[in-house]
Amino acid sequence: MLNPPDTFEPYDDATQPAMTIPHYAETFVRVPKNPLFRRPVTLTEITGPTRLAKKLQPGNNNLAHPYPDRPRAMGQLIQVSGHLRDGDGRPVRDAIIELWHCNSAGRYIHPMDAQNPNPVDPNFIGSGRVATDADGRYEFLTIKPAAYPYPKHPTRWWRPPHIHMSIFGDGFMSRLVTQMFFPGDPLNDIDLILQAVPDAKARERMIARQVPMSEMPVLNVMGFEHDVVVRGHRQTPFGV
Amino acid sequence: MAILPPTASGTVGPFFPPHFFRPGDNDLTILEPGAPAAAGQRIFIFGHIYEAERVPRWNAILELWQADAGGRFAHPNDPRAAEADPHFMGWGRRASENDGYFDFITVMPGGFEDPVARAVRAPHINISVTGSGLMRRLTTTVFFPDEPANAGDPVFCAVTDARARARLVLVPATSERAPANAKAYRIDLVLQGEDETPFFLD
Repeated sequence: MLNPPDTFEPYDDATQPAMTIPHYAETFVRVPKNPLFRRPVTLTEITGPTRLAKKLQPGNNNLAHPYPDRPRAMGQLIQVSGHLRDGDGRPVRDAIIELWHCNSAGRYIHPMDAQNPNPVDPNFIGSGRVATDADGRYEFLTIKPAAYPYPKHPTRWWRPPHIHMSIFGDGFMSRLVTQMFFPGDPLNDIDLILQAVPDAKARERMIARQVPMSEMPVLNVMGFEHDVVVRGHRQTPFGV
Repeated sequence: MAILPPTASGTVGPFFPPHFFRPGDNDLTILEPGAPAAAGQRIFIFGHIYEAERVPRWNAILELWQADAGGRFAHPNDPRAAEADPHFMGWGRRASENDGYFDFITVMPGGFEDPVARAVRAPHINISVTGSGLMRRLTTTVFFPDEPANAGDPVFCAVTDARARARLVLVPATSERAPANAKAYRIDLVLQGEDETPFFLD
């Protein structure tokens, strides 16, 4: 990594989600009551791990077909790709992105989802780890996740289809965990998590763009493009 | 050119894949199986994490970030990166257990003259917490007992409430789970309520 970002402003509350969300009970018991302390940014904050792949090894970017000797996962095939950039718009290279999402019936492969009445797909794991290339680009193939209900909401809240992303940028202050949504889904407009972000443009940036059908190289795969920006820029900008 | 706003955060949720954790992810003293050990005094840090009402918070994801034993970071923003311990990455991760328990094996970080803050940083470890119900990560920094440099550390001093500040100091302790030759320290993280851990604006 050359000339990584060295300047990190605190996140803007308008473009980041509220910490507590009405009727999303878990957000009320895990958030500090005391105000957050404002700390100076020091060397510890502007640095971060540079050899993460030693611990978090990237794997197969085909989540739709995890077992070569078995059928592919059930569901609509989708390709998700995009660029990871910093605040200066420069590519974030060799960044680790962890992905996970539920199956095409709305169930996660996770012990926490054992009570889910929907079926497990034996040919689907629902997670993967990829790295960005020299252009900051990532790409993976998977199946489109289904919507599913949050169990505790008094008047029913369905999560729209979404893909979780855990992203390691160039430093401690660039760490990002986010969710990607699909364009045009009516549940997006009433999703408590997406709508917790006050700024409409910031919400739009969490929604992927559909690649025109005619531009997809394969008939059987729908394409989605999703660019992500991690915090941080250069005090003195360098060329890209 | 205008600075691009960062993509909005979203909660990890309850379903972060368990197989993303590998044995050794919480051992910062070794980069990969068979690799040489990092330089420095081995330490063992353990504790419990709680949500409101002292309910153990299980399935919270804790990430550590710290300097090597010489107070250096193997990252281009550290002017001393070339001297950093090649066998130390400074990063580790672990999910809390059902009773909120977590532990890490690492080396005692060195303090350093901070070129950014223009201050002396006392030995410290940054901790990020993510998990279900946390729409954004929480970050804090823990310090070591009896370190004269704590008093002048700009992050330690940023916690202006002395009682809250004291909760950032690791407590010497013993643990059956600590490896041989590792000095053990305890720290409990309280996300909300009495004895709440101070967290920093991110």
